[in-house]
Amino acid sequence: MLGKGVVGGGGGTKAPKPSFVSYVRPEEIHTNEKEVTEKEVTLHLLPGEQLLCEASTVLKYVQEDSCQRGIYGKLVCTDFKIAFLGDDDSALDNDETQFKNKVIGENDITLHCVDQIYGVFDEKKKTLFGQLKKYPEKLIIHCKDLRVFHFCLRYTKEEEVKRIVSGIIHHTQAPKLLKRLFLFSYAAAAQNHAATDPRNHTVMFDTLKDWCWELERTKGSVKYKAVSVNEGYKVCERLPAYFVVPTPLPEEDLSRFQGHGIPLWCWSCHNGCALLKMSALPKKEQDDGLSQMQKSFLDGIYKTIHRPPYEIVKTEDLSSNFLSLQDIQTAYSKFKQLFLIDNSTEFWDTDIKWFSLLESSSWLDIIRRCLKKAIEITECLEAQNVNVLLLEENASDLCCLVSSLVQVMMDPHCRTRIGFQSLVQKEWIMGGHSFLDRCNHLRQSDKEEVPVFLLFLDCVWQLVHQHPPAFDFTETYLTVLSDSLYIPIFSTFFFNSPHQKDNVGRESQDTQSKPLNLLTVWDWSVQFEPKAQMLLKNPLYVEKPKLDKGQRKGMRFKGPQGRGGCFSSWFSLFPASWTRTALSSGTAWPEHQRQLSLPLTQSKSSPKRGFFREETDHLIKNLLGKRISKLINSSDELHDNFREFYDSWHSKPTDYHGLLLPHIEGPEIKVWAQRYLRWIPEAQILGGGRAATVSKLLEMMEEVERLQEKIDARPHGQGALLAEAPLLLRGSARLSALFPFALLQRHPSKPVLPTSGWKALGDEEDLAKREDEFVDLGDV
Amino acid sequence: MWWGGRGQSFNIAPQKEEPEMGHSGPKCVQRTGMLEPRSRQLDGHVASGCLPGEQILAWAPGVRKGLEPELPGTLICTNLRVTFQPCGWQRSQETPLSSEYDFALVNIGRLEAVSGLSRVQLLHPGSPLKFIPEEILIHGRDFRLLRVAFEAGGLEPQAFQVTMAIVQARAQNSQVQQYAGIPLSKAGQSSGSRKPPVPLLETSEDWEAERKKQGARGWRVSTVNESLPRYFWVPKRTLDSEVRRAFGHFHQGRGPRLSWHHPGGSDLLRCGGFYTASDPNKEDIRAVESMLQAGHSDVVLVDTVDELPSLADVQLAHLRLRALCLPDSSAAEEKWLSALEGTRWLDYVRSCLRKASDISVLVTSRVRSVVLQERGDRDFNGLLSSLVQLLSVPEARTLLGFQSLVQREWVAAGHPFLTRLGVTGASEEAPVFLLFLDCVWQLLQQFPAEFEFSEFFLLALHDSARVPDTLTFLRDTPWERGKQGGQFNSYTQIYNPGYCQPPAGNSVNSQLSVWDWDLRYNSEQILQFHNPGYDPEHCPDSWLPRQQPSFMVPGPPSSVWLFSRGALTPLNQLCPWRDNPSLLAVSSRWLPRAAISSESLADQEWGLPSHWGACPLPPGLLLPGYLGPQIRLWRRCYLRGRPEVQKGLSAPTISGLQDELSHLQELLRKWTPRISPEDHSKKRDPNTILSQSR
Repeated sequence: MLGKGVVGGGGGTKAPKPSFVSYVRPEEIHTNEKEVTEKEVTLHLLPGEQLLCEASTVLKYVQEDSCQRGIYGKLVCTDFKIAFLGDDDSALDNDETQFKNKVIGENDITLHCVDQIYGVFDEKKKTLFGQLKKYPEKLIIHCKDLRVFHFCLRYTKEEEVKRIVSGIIHHTQAPKLLKRLFLFSYAAAAQNHAATDPRNHTVMFDTLKDWCWELERTKGSVKYKAVSVNEGYKVCERLPAYFVVPTPLPEEDLSRFQGHGIPLWCWSCHNGCALLKMSALPKKEQDDGLSQMQKSFLDGIYKTIHRPPYEIVKTEDLSSNFLSLQDIQTAYSKFKQLFLIDNSTEFWDTDIKWFSLLESSSWLDIIRRCLKKAIEITECLEAQNVNVLLLEENASDLCCLVSSLVQVMMDPHCRTRIGFQSLVQKEWIMGGHSFLDRCNHLRQSDKEEVPVFLLFLDCVWQLVHQHPPAFDFTETYLTVLSDSLYIPIFSTFFFNSPHQKDNVGRESQDTQSKPLNLLTVWDWSVQFEPKAQMLLKNPLYVEKPKLDKGQRKGMRFKGPQGRGGCFSSWFSLFPASWTRTALSSGTAWPEHQRQLSLPLTQSKSSPKRGFFREETDHLIKNLLGKRISKLINSSDELHDNFREFYDSWHSKPTDYHGLLLPHIEGPEIKVWAQRYLRWIPEAQILGGGRAATVSKLLEMMEEVERLQEKIDARPHGQGALLAEAPLLLRGSARLSALFPFALLQRHPSKPVLPTSGWKALGDEEDLAKREDEFVDLGDV
Repeated sequence: MWWGGRGQSFNIAPQKEEPEMGHSGPKCVQRTGMLEPRSRQLDGHVASGCLPGEQILAWAPGVRKGLEPELPGTLICTNLRVTFQPCGWQRSQETPLSSEYDFALVNIGRLEAVSGLSRVQLLHPGSPLKFIPEEILIHGRDFRLLRVAFEAGGLEPQAFQVTMAIVQARAQNSQVQQYAGIPLSKAGQSSGSRKPPVPLLETSEDWEAERKKQGARGWRVSTVNESLPRYFWVPKRTLDSEVRRAFGHFHQGRGPRLSWHHPGGSDLLRCGGFYTASDPNKEDIRAVESMLQAGHSDVVLVDTVDELPSLADVQLAHLRLRALCLPDSSAAEEKWLSALEGTRWLDYVRSCLRKASDISVLVTSRVRSVVLQERGDRDFNGLLSSLVQLLSVPEARTLLGFQSLVQREWVAAGHPFLTRLGVTGASEEAPVFLLFLDCVWQLLQQFPAEFEFSEFFLLALHDSARVPDTLTFLRDTPWERGKQGGQFNSYTQIYNPGYCQPPAGNSVNSQLSVWDWDLRYNSEQILQFHNPGYDPEHCPDSWLPRQQPSFMVPGPPSSVWLFSRGALTPLNQLCPWRDNPSLLAVSSRWLPRAAISSESLADQEWGLPSHWGACPLPPGLLLPGYLGPQIRLWRRCYLRGRPEVQKGLSAPTISGLQDELSHLQELLRKWTPRISPEDHSKKRDPNTILSQSR
């Protein structure tokens, strides 16, 4: 009974409801401590995880209200996470637990996920850091995934408070050494458990073969070559071991400036144009000789890539005239405050000014600018037939962002899950985005912490939101991916460069004889059961009809595009059934009618593909002369080009397997509600929202699938094979709009006061007679 | 293909118009099939599309712009509307009133003429047009935009004429109420015993049937009509004399009447403000009290306008919204959000939703009887009471249920549509009904599986508010509507002498209502009224009403409460007169208001949404979200003038799947006739969708 006792009037914040009845007095708690501990859930430790400190009789407030309800339990800090152990797991045994993360529980916060820690001293909230003289009575933890935890330490023993608070502060705030990352202890301890998932076909780009495959896939191999000159990171530690450069580039040039000033290939467009990136040469102004050398070197490089067969190169300098990392940092820190809400009152205060607050954070505007830049570059590649060279100081922040956005828009392969993961692997991981610094995993410099990758995910979310059928994955996938940034058992986001990863791995190899087996985040089975993984997959996505052989050829290299046979039948069979209908019924219906009702699969004569592939090709070539002069011309004309391209694309029906452009008008850029609002209880809509549509959709898909099977089975005289598809969403009558996240934080709390009060009120004459007394319904 | 609503409502693909006409089957043989090269004369068939009493004032050939592809045709100005008729297009016989290319004159919000770089706004007939317009832009009050470029080459005078004619006609139109609706027979339907698609509540039988449907056993239909609908519901025990006695003490005689009876036993009533200048005697007060109380021991009074915007606020917000949504709106992209906030429209939407949500919790979960009181009882009372019903009654969320809800709470209850929608040009313009539609749209957004009707239906309703062919929304009171219906025949005779009058006495039924969708939309469009995501699990059958508690003997109310800002305050008495007859100011009898409670009633009742899983809500009750991030802009309606925003709004994937489903079912049925047809997908026949299930 005390395990989730209810205490009122305590805690640090203002207590606006004086009428609150306290059932349990602190003294009682101490006497009953044994009982409390007995009821507690045991702490699950991952392999290699060590318990550092703990404190019992901590009260975790149910976040939403000011009436100080809470659950008692133990607060624990390990070298992996902060965990609260209450006995509130009882309610979580049905549907919603299917979307449970296997690694991180509902009340777990990985150390890297902690954003800010506040302490409440005498009702005043202060940021906690360093050595404390005085220990707070309440601990507020803001997480990077925007959860907010309130722990009341009032009933905890003093020495335990000291230990846990300083423990948490030390392990989350103090600078850390790379080799102290939990990643390594986990990898060392979990050697045997780690098994590579055979279904995981994400291209990792850590071998020469992978790069060749990508070149082959995009037909870029004619003009570009994969080089292994950096094997063992001999040339440069910033660059991956293998990368792709223009074919005529001499190898000695590569090592000249440690990889600076080298155009690196990102991706080739169907028309042969390529997206390149280059890190700027280091600027040393006082040394004239060196800058002279640099200049002539660059001239040589440009000459090489300007000469046919290469298209004209347009240089896009992302260091100037575009976002600065500082902008992104400021905007996000303002933006996230809108969602890190300590109590309801705060929420309601901000709610009135929601739109203007949102606007003043300018996060959405930054998203718009990124999308716009990507469209501009897409226009150059697609319509103007020029190569685009992205230039940035290290080519590892905005370069990654812009080039991967361009690829998501232009390359339908990048909109499949495998393709998207390969893209992140290619542009971000191998592209040397310094995740360690940008996420501030080691707590070494707050200045370096810039959510560039999150910005990218948010941009992709805008695309997913605007064109759902074009993507193989759902917004839930993106949300879960963004959460995975802070889980230090995956190596993917915990290094600054591939060199760092390999190097650290080698170091520990000396001591341990066996190579470390670091997990990759793409192995989703580590985090989610197959059933839960269904929610990461967009049921409406339809694979491209197999007309285009060239596209397929590449696939075969890595095996068929993994549809993951373990998923339930409706799910894996649906796309097949789709094409089957189109083929089997053979009448006018499938091609024609579907186009009317559901523009998912465009027939081959689709105007858009014609527009971009063949018809305009010669047109573009005719315009080539004009185009060159345009490049030199003012930005006005560039703007017109952009506008024209943008408008003409949007005025035509969308081919989900072709070029995809986002809308960037004011009303079109939205808040990624699932990620940002999911922990705010006020924001839930029970039985509504997207979840309602999705569940309806799944139901219908299942039905379609079942009928399809019946039809298929009929000619063979077999009985209908009715697959009992386990539906994640079925059965739970009313889902919250924020499903699958919202329900995770459901608490089996009972109303604090007897609710029958109101109904009996009519008979309670004395209450009614107190006419001049204000009666609040909540308290009756 | 998206179906085209009216004009640029949706992503209409105008080149489809040709094949679409084939839909009318053999009838299209009748039309003058030849597509003559732009005749210099007005085609005969163009004139044939006119309504009775409609006169063509001017016309000019032109090209519709702004939407891809450009569409050549003719711009016609009549005394009722401005029509753009594409070449070769003709009103289909089956949908004689379709108005895809129409702009009713009252709908014209702004008119601009463009020549070269100069651009002039035309407002008054006197305002001079100093150049021959090359292009004309008509901004609709319903957020549509018509952009027509005139042809050069000798036809400039016509362009000038038609422009001036529009200006003139619009000015005259705002002075005269000349819309009279058209009789059914003219619309190509037999005027005999045709049942209206939705009970129009113009007979006592309609009211009786509706009462039975609600299970309001303690109520009866009263025929004591004053300024109210001809019929309404009063408590069974109340005599007509008492009703008359009581109603006299309400503003404009709009005494308390039943809006909706909750099967749990509580009632939702609406009434006008107390007529405080009157001096009621004891009997009168008793009658008033017994009617307000309606047999319940305690009653909650809700001051409707409290926390809601004033009429002027609504009008201002709507004007601002319209300005913001213009295609050439000056709001920069990055300032869009604050500009949107600045209109305050969404703020008003959310305050309506919030109040409705609170009241529905009171009525359903707490089983309180609620009396909505608004001085005029014509605007926000209707809005709130319909919203409450939408939230609490699954049946009101069906197509038929929603239409009869609007008919009952708005049309029959005398919402002054004509004034509020600005047709008369009076100063009391305030699009309360459009605010209501926006609220409904928000609900539709939030609960996509709970409503049988779709966004397109709402849009059609939105656009119907100003069409000249039905009287539903073109009169201020049911009385005027009836009167006009009777006078109507003589009116048409002036223009159409040869036209046969329908037999007298049938005039009520022969009048077209807005609910006769099939006359204005083709079957394909009507199919779209149906929400493919509607979950039949939520249909009325699964909704089991609780038992009715026995009625209490009327006596002095044991508790009277005032509900305001999320809290109940006890009141001394129901009426302002009893102890102190000189107390005139109605609000002064109320106690000082409590501070705003941030918690809504739903929160107080069940805690925050995260708890609701543990304590289930009453079945059928929807609790809407009304937070900043949850209230959205109805883009498909308000941003219609900006085609670039409309393109590619999320594809109708559910309906696509539904098509696939029905196709598969059909295949199955064809191949194996013995397999009983699966009834998982609703039959999507427009007739069954809109038909009346009485």
